[in-house]
Parts: sequence; C-alpha cells; structure tokens
Amino acid sequence: MRTFSVLFYYEWRHFRAARGLVLLTGLLLLVGGYGIYYGTTEIGRQRRHLAELPALARRHAAELQAKFPGPADAGEIGYYHHTFAVHRPTPWAGLALGQRDVHPYYLQLRLLGLQGQLYATENVNPTKALSGNFDLAFVLVYLLPLYVIALCFNLLSEEREQGILPLLLAQPVRAGQLVAAKLAFRGALVLGLALGLSAAGLAWARVPLDGRVALWLALVGLYGGFWLGVGLLVAAWQRSSSFNAVVLLGAWLLLLVLVPGLLNVYVAAARPVPQGLALTVQQREAIHGGWDRPKSETMARFYAAYPQWRDTAAIRERFAWRWYYAFQYLGDQSAAPLAGAYAGGLRQRHALGAGLGWLSPAVALQTSLHALAGTDLPAHLAFQHSATRYHDALRAFYYPFLFRQVPFTHADYARLPRHTFTSPTDTGGARAGLWQLLLGVGAVGAAGGLALRRPIRPR
Amino acid sequence: MVTSIAQKEFVSIRRDRRFVVLGALVLALLLAATLVGRRAAAAAQQARAAAQHMVNEQFRHQPGRHPHRVAHYGSFAFRPVAGLGFLDAGLNAYTGTAVYLEAHQQNSVNFSPAQQAGALLRFGELTVAFVLQTLVPLLLIFLCFGAFTEEREAGTLPLLLSQGVTMRQLAWGKIVGYGRAAALVVGPALALAAWLLAAGAGAGAGPLALAGRLAMFALSYAVYFFVVIAGAVLVSAGQRHSRTALVLLLGAWMVGCLVLPKATANLGAALHPGPTKAQLDAAVHEQAQHGLNGHDPQDRRAAALKDSLLRRYGVATEKELPVSVAGLTMAAGEAYSSRVYQRHFAALTRTYERQNALSAWAGLLNPYQAIRPLSMGLAGSDFAHYVHFQQAAEAYRYQLVQRLNALQAGMGYGDKERRLGAATWRAIPPFAYQAPGLGWALGHLLGPALALLLWAGALGWLGLRRLDKMKM
Amino acid sequence: MSYILEAKDLRKEYPGKLALRGLNLQLAAGEVFCLLGQNGAGKSTTINLFLGFIAPTAGAAYIGGLEVAANALKTKQYLAYIPENVLLYPHLTGLENLALFSSLAGFRYRESELRAYLAQAGLPAEAVARRVGSYSKGMRQKVGIAIAVAKHAQVLLLDEPTSGLDPKAANEFSALLRQLSGQGTAVFMATHDIFRAKEVGTRVGIMRAGALVDVRPTAALNAQELEQLYLTHMHD
Repeated sequence: MRTFSVLFYYEWRHFRAARGLVLLTGLLLLVGGYGIYYGTTEIGRQRRHLAELPALARRHAAELQAKFPGPADAGEIGYYHHTFAVHRPTPWAGLALGQRDVHPYYLQLRLLGLQGQLYATENVNPTKALSGNFDLAFVLVYLLPLYVIALCFNLLSEEREQGILPLLLAQPVRAGQLVAAKLAFRGALVLGLALGLSAAGLAWARVPLDGRVALWLALVGLYGGFWLGVGLLVAAWQRSSSFNAVVLLGAWLLLLVLVPGLLNVYVAAARPVPQGLALTVQQREAIHGGWDRPKSETMARFYAAYPQWRDTAAIRERFAWRWYYAFQYLGDQSAAPLAGAYAGGLRQRHALGAGLGWLSPAVALQTSLHALAGTDLPAHLAFQHSATRYHDALRAFYYPFLFRQVPFTHADYARLPRHTFTSPTDTGGARAGLWQLLLGVGAVGAAGGLALRRPIRPR
Repeated sequence: MVTSIAQKEFVSIRRDRRFVVLGALVLALLLAATLVGRRAAAAAQQARAAAQHMVNEQFRHQPGRHPHRVAHYGSFAFRPVAGLGFLDAGLNAYTGTAVYLEAHQQNSVNFSPAQQAGALLRFGELTVAFVLQTLVPLLLIFLCFGAFTEEREAGTLPLLLSQGVTMRQLAWGKIVGYGRAAALVVGPALALAAWLLAAGAGAGAGPLALAGRLAMFALSYAVYFFVVIAGAVLVSAGQRHSRTALVLLLGAWMVGCLVLPKATANLGAALHPGPTKAQLDAAVHEQAQHGLNGHDPQDRRAAALKDSLLRRYGVATEKELPVSVAGLTMAAGEAYSSRVYQRHFAALTRTYERQNALSAWAGLLNPYQAIRPLSMGLAGSDFAHYVHFQQAAEAYRYQLVQRLNALQAGMGYGDKERRLGAATWRAIPPFAYQAPGLGWALGHLLGPALALLLWAGALGWLGLRRLDKMKM
Repeated sequence: MSYILEAKDLRKEYPGKLALRGLNLQLAAGEVFCLLGQNGAGKSTTINLFLGFIAPTAGAAYIGGLEVAANALKTKQYLAYIPENVLLYPHLTGLENLALFSSLAGFRYRESELRAYLAQAGLPAEAVARRVGSYSKGMRQKVGIAIAVAKHAQVLLLDEPTSGLDPKAANEFSALLRQLSGQGTAVFMATHDIFRAKEVGTRVGIMRAGALVDVRPTAALNAQELEQLYLTHMHD
C-alpha cells in the first residue's frame, strides 16, 4: 500500500511536469465549460421563444377580435385562429441537446386537418445542424476519450522508451502495482474531470436532485472507465508509444465514427420508414376530394365517428363550416394508417439503433444521455402525440359551436384549450445504456486483466 | 535528385505492411462509400422523382374546379438529389425534401432525413467526402509523421545531407513520394465515381456539367492532400522525435476536424441569432396585413384596387365589371405578401450566411474548413444550392398562384358560382427544377478555394524555404 | 555456508537461440565477480535472470538463498542494479529521483541523508537540485550508484557500469566498489574492461556463447596473463 501511494504521488509529479498534458486538461475543462454554457444558453433561447408564443397568440386573437367585433361564426375563427402546441425542455436538455435542434419545439395549429400541420419544421440553419451541437454530451462522448488516449498512450511505454523501466523493476515493486498506480492516477484524473464537469453542468442547469443525477454520473463514469480499460488493454500489449497512439486512435475512430456510421446505414436499411411525403399527399387528396363529394356522404361518415352530432341540422346551403371541418377530419382519418406507420417506423428505427448500443459505448452513452434529457426521437414523437391530443381537444371545443351554431364571442377566446408538454425522461432507456456500458467495461477490463498476466518486459 | 528520393519513399511505403493494410482499408471504405452512396442517392432520387410525377399527374387530372380551389389544392416541390450528392451528402440530411406549394402561404421544406433518423445520424455519415476529408488525412499523418524524425533517429539524415541534397529537395522528394501513395488510395475511388457517373448519365442533368464538377472535386482534394502532406512533412522536419511529431499532428487533426468546425458553427449561430418560424410568420403576416410601412392596411389596399377598377372601366358597380374583383384582389394580395415574404426570407438567408461566415473564415486557419464547403459546393449539396432550390420552388409557387388568380380574374363577376374545365389544369406546366451550373457554384466558392490555395502556397513556398535555414 | 548469489544449472533458451547453457556459480559476501565476454555471450541474460526480468528455461537463480523466479519481490530487496546507461526521470532532480527509488525500496530518508548519498557517489553539490534532463551520462551514473548504495543491498548487479565514464570517474567508481565489498556487499559485474576487472575483481569468469568457459581468482593472474587468457578463449 505504501509503495502504491509512493507510485501514485510520483505519477502526479510526472503529470505536473508534462506541460502538454496539463494544458490539455485545462483545455478540456475550458471546452467542457463552454459546452455547458452553450447547451444551457441554447435551451434558454428555446425557453424564451416558447415564452414569447402566448404574446404572439394574444396579438393574433386581438387582430381577429378587431376583424370580428361582434359575435362571429366559429368556423371563421377556427379557420384563422392559430394556437401553439409547445414542447418544453427538461432542465437536463441543456446538457444534451440531442435532436431538439432539428425537431420543432412548438407547432402552430389551426382547426384544419392536422396531418398538414404536424410535420412543419422550425427555421434551422442546416450548416449549423450538420456541424452539430457543442454541448456537454459532445464533450463527454467525443473529447473525453481523446483525453484518456492522450493520458494513456504512453502508459508504461514511456518508461520503457526512456530506459527507466529496468531500474524501476529492479526495485521490490510488482509490475502490476506499477500499472495499477498509473491507471489509478489517470482514472482519478479522468473520472474527477468527467464527474466534476457533469456535476458543474447539472448544478448550472439546475436539475432536480433525483435518481437521474446518479444515473447520469454512473453512465459518464462507466464510459470513462471503458476508455481507461481500452488504454490498459493497449498498454498491456507492450508496444511502442507511437504504436499505442495509432491503435488507440484507431479504436476511437472505430467506436465513434465507423460503427455509428455503419449502424446508421444498417438501421436505415433494416427499418425503412414509409416516406412521410406519402401521408401529406394522401391527406391532401382526401381533403380536397371532400369538396367534390356529396355533402350527405361526407356527413354520414363523420357522424359514424361522432354520433353525438347526428341529430343536428342537415346541411342545405352551398357551404357550411361544419361540413368543411368534417372533411378536414376525414382527411386526417384517411391518412391515419400512414401516419401511424410513419411514427411506428421511426420508433422502431430508434429502438433498433438503441438496442445495438453495445456495439459502441459511444452510441450507448449518447443514446442514454439523450434519453435522460428527453431530447431524443421518442421524446419528439411523444410531443407529436400530445399535439395530436391537443388538436382533438380543439376540435372538441369548436364542434358544439359549429354543430349547434352557437356564435363565437370575444369571451370564448379565453376558453380555448391551451397546450403544454414537457419532454418525458426515459430512465428505462438510460438504464439499458448503463447495462450496455457495463458490458463494454467488463469486456475490456477482463481482456486487459488477461493481457496483463504476461510479464512486463523492462526493455 | 527529387525523383530518386520520391522513388525511395514510394518503394518503402509500398513495402511497409502497416501502410498497405491501412491504405487497403481506407480504399475499401472509399469504394464501399461510393457504391452505398450511389445506391442511396439513386433510391432517394427515384422516390422523389416518382412522388413529383405523382403530384404532377394529380394536378393535371383535377376535375373542373374553381381556380382558387386549385390554388389551395396546390402542388408539391420535391428537392432532387444533387448530381454529386452521392460523393458528398453535404447538408442533404439536414435540409427538407418536400415543400407544399399553396396559395397565401410559404410552407417550410419538410421531412429532412435528420428528422427521420435517431441520434445515430449525429455521429456523421460515412460518405466519400467524409473519408476524404477526415480519414485520408489521418492515414497521411501516420504516413508522414516520421518523414524526417525517423531519418534523424536512425542517423541517416546527416548521411543524406552529406551527399549534397538540401533539406528542401529532401522534403519535396518525400512530398512527391507520399503524394503518389495517396493517389494510389484515392484514385481508384474517384475513377469508380467517374465511371458510375458516366454509366448513369443520360438520365440526369448535363453529363458534361457533372464531369466538370467531378474534375474540380478531384482537383480540390488533390490540393487538400498536398496541404496535409506538406504540413505533416514540415512538422516532422521541425521535431527531434517521431513521437512528438505524431502527437502534434494528431492534436492538429482533432482540433481541425472535430473541435473547430463545431465550435465556429455554434459560435456563429450564437452571435447572429435568427428568427423562429413563429416570429417570421407573425412578422410576415403583420406586414402583409398592415402594409410594409405599417400604414397601408390590406382592406384599404383592396378598396383602392376596387375603386381604381371601377374608374378604369367607367362603371358604377362591381357587377358591371368584366373582371373578377376577388381574383384581382387575390393577385394583388399575393404579390404584396410575396414581396414581404421575400424580404424576410432574404434576411433569414443573410442571417444564416452571417452565421456560416465564421466557419468560412476559419478556413484560413483550418484547411478542413476550406475543403468542406468547397466539396459540398461542388457536389451541389451546400447551403447556396439549397437556397437556390427554395427560391425556385417559391418562384414556381408564386407564378402558379398568380396564373390561377389571373384565370379567376378573367372569369368576371360571380366567378364563385362557376368552375373552369379540367383541360385548364393540363395546360399549366409542372414544377421542374434545374440545378445551377458549375459556373454559378464556383462563384459561391471563391472564399474556400482561395483559402485552400493560400494554404498550399504558404506551405509549399514559405514553409519549405524555411527548411533550408533549419539546423539538421 | 549459504551463498549470497548462486546459479544452479541456469539455462535460458529463446526460440532458435540458446542464450545460456547451464550456468553454475556461487558468490559469497564481499566477493567481486567480474564476468568478461563479447557482446551476445550471455552476460546480460545472466544479469536479467538474477533480476527476475526473464524466467529461466531450466535451473534456478538464487539471491540470498531464495529462488528468484519464485520470490521476485523479496529477492529484489536484497539486490541493487546499475545498468550500463542509467536513465532517470528527466523532469525530476537527482535528489527527487533518489527519493523516489529509495522509497520504492522501502527507505524513507531525510533530505540531508539523500544529499549525503549523492555526495558519496560523487555527484557535485550544485547538480543535486537540478533536473536530471540536464545531466551528463556520468552524472546520471552517479545518481544510479547513490540509488544502489542507499538501498543497502547485499548484492550489487552491474552491467558495464564504467563504459562511457571518464578515467577519473571510473577510478572513483572502482574505489567505491572496493569500499562496498569491504563492508560485505557481493558484487556481480558484467564488463568487457579487462583491466578494470583485474583491478576490482576477486574472481573473473570468461563467458563465451552462453557458457562460462573459465573462472580464475584475480590474485593468481596479472593483467597481461588475463588478456592473453581472454584472447585465447575468444579465438580458439
């Protein structure tokens, strides 16, 4: 134990003397701080935009009130008035932005057919989206392993190349102890940095202190442990520092670039998603066909779904709003199977990709962090589902006006249903990632331990 | 002198088993990426062309309808896959593929592949451009880091210099030798791409234009690889140990390919925030309703139009007019709101360009950020091409809607009660997108091209000149 | 009596090469054994076997009566080792390097004691607190000697310790060896320096192609005779 602490202390001395590494550590801290700042600012911006939406909606309502000073036909109001379905981020979102930049975080909805409105996109600079987000998750997933590589590529090989190893091993020190002390020091450094940055990020983002904090820290800790294990495995191979650097960087490329890239190709091929285009085209055809179909046919189909309005006045005029909204609804219904298949396909796609996380700990960590932050594809699908429910509520609100032909008064604006939705946290998904990471750590740990049973060559 | 050194380097690279294995791996990856990319691009193109054909047919086969109904029925514009999109997907994954064209409003381009993929896509796509931009430089770094340090460590450098070779000649020889090795890895993939293009030509747009783009594409990468090789050889010349040279070069690779592009893109976006869709729509609506100056509301404009029509035709009531006031009002409203929208769209595009400018300037600092825009620009998958498509789609939408408004105007008073025959819709030409030519693309790529050439010049001339002043 | 260093039928084979063919050797306390031989004769293999850096193919090496292969850690407490080129952590001072290696050997010295060891090894006082990166080979060698002395080992394993030292430093080194052997330390030294071997050794052994071909007490030989003997063994 004393030998261990001596070795550990001198690792600290060696680290302090290696100016490049100290610089790199400072850089990682800086970059991590920037990642936290950038991510939380970005989410702050989204929150601010969400907070501005009620004002936009109020201004819009005021405009309509000016246009229709007296009691109005609810059909007109439903046609012009738009409200917002909002997707609020969790406090975690700022640490792992995930897909929140490419998926819209609010939807402008009118009483018209939903399918034509559900897939609208937010203004996104595609060049920026391609470059991705510099959030804490990026720093942890991409840069932390590079830091571990910089720390570990000359673990032991440095002493061998400097010729110090024979003298060291001529002391009553077990080679395993030497490696253990080196690894322990690097481990303390890496985990201290990763967990410290995480803790700072969690505090800065003001996340509630619950089980998710432990889950995040465990995920990040295991990921750091995995890369330390890879470093150990390569060091146990006892080759030159240059060779180690090449192999470690190769492992990084494999796990962060090649495997995810191939998985992406595989997932897209194995779970083809029915083109989203088809469903909007289908819905357009159904809705516009509504104009040409006999009104009685449209209404009969509508009443089959809404028998409570069956006994309302028959439509004799050339145009009636309730007929108009009836075929809007039927248009959605005709696209419903396609829409369901589309959302289901996306969900399956995500599940397949997440299930293959054991192939790359980077994929496992990224997927888990996004699941924890509620910024992944399932969270967006949940939002779309919630927006669909909201649209149902809007229709349920307007239908009595339309079918009983009640005028829409200024007081009714305030009674319109409102929507809010906060991303769900998928702790189940994150826990699955934890097991995948554990598998990875176990695999490299066992392989490294086995490889270390070979005696250490001093030269 | 230079050729014999180049020959020596080339021979020793070919005999180095590590390089042969790594080079073969990269080549296999390149070939696979070319084929997979070609297949994916062809499949996407086919799907979009089929969808475009379907909606065009639907439009043509409409029954007799009122033109404004047709304007609301509208059409779709599908973004065709760029000619060299299979080599460099560029922004393709993050730009929408379809836009619904209808009266009164400009819709967003929806269904981008990024929205249909999980987080996996954010790890990047394995395209040819990705391999060429990031993996090949890594291979070149492994090849070149010991260029001088190994000679130093083995003690052969003084021997070589004592033969009367200068450091500069030695460096040129090495650069040429490594360059030939790089060509051996990259050449076959580009040849395959050219063959695929030639074989697939005829179907797509001008094969000559695509050949020109491919040639420029290859040339740009040749310059990029020269920059990487010369940079690596120079770093190796400046270091005593192979290990330090390797670590320095790998560090530069990580910062250049990983940290800087993301950091500059993020910083640019933070410095020049753009409006959200809701803000933009509200502003467009506001100005369209109340006039660009805020004192010219839509109803007053409509009333003025009606008055002027009555005066022009010398009649007292709308009933007596030979044209439909509703149709003309609609046309005027569309013209006005389009003008407003174009202004805001231009401002949004400018904001995005300003966001991207930081990345573009970083090209002077980082060759990766010079080749990336150059490559996707030549492939036709960059922001400029995307904006070009958006503008083409909007131009089509506008002329389609105005044509329908004109038809409505010509129907005279009481047009709402009547319909136009089905033949009317068949006479309207469908949306056909013509991608811009090479000259247009090059005009947008002067910045990155210049940055890359500057790098090549600086390294090839200034850098190598410094070598002769260096102590061995 | 039990020997402080002993080899019994010590044999080391590498694939396609027999490096050491059954070495038998005993060293008592205070003895200085000089192993002469050309490069590749098996001298370093022998030292590495005693250090436990490599495992013997057959036979055994003993330090302090313990078999090295079975007691790798314990035997290292009894021995000190000075390689041909002493390489140390370049960013630590001579003092810090000595402190590190001593503490690994289980000794915790005060700074004054560490300075005394370095002075005894002949390191100039001005160099003690300088980083080893700026040391000459001879200065590093002296830190290596200080490390060995501070360990109070019963056996000293030396691999070409005087190569590259200037004559004055080499003489000081010889004096130090005589002093240590006078205190009962056994010294096992591989060298090609015949004259140094004659000067400090109590016995010399000549090794050729992995075998110890001749062992003589130095007292029975003068330098010319030793050289003659060496050349005879090398060229027949």
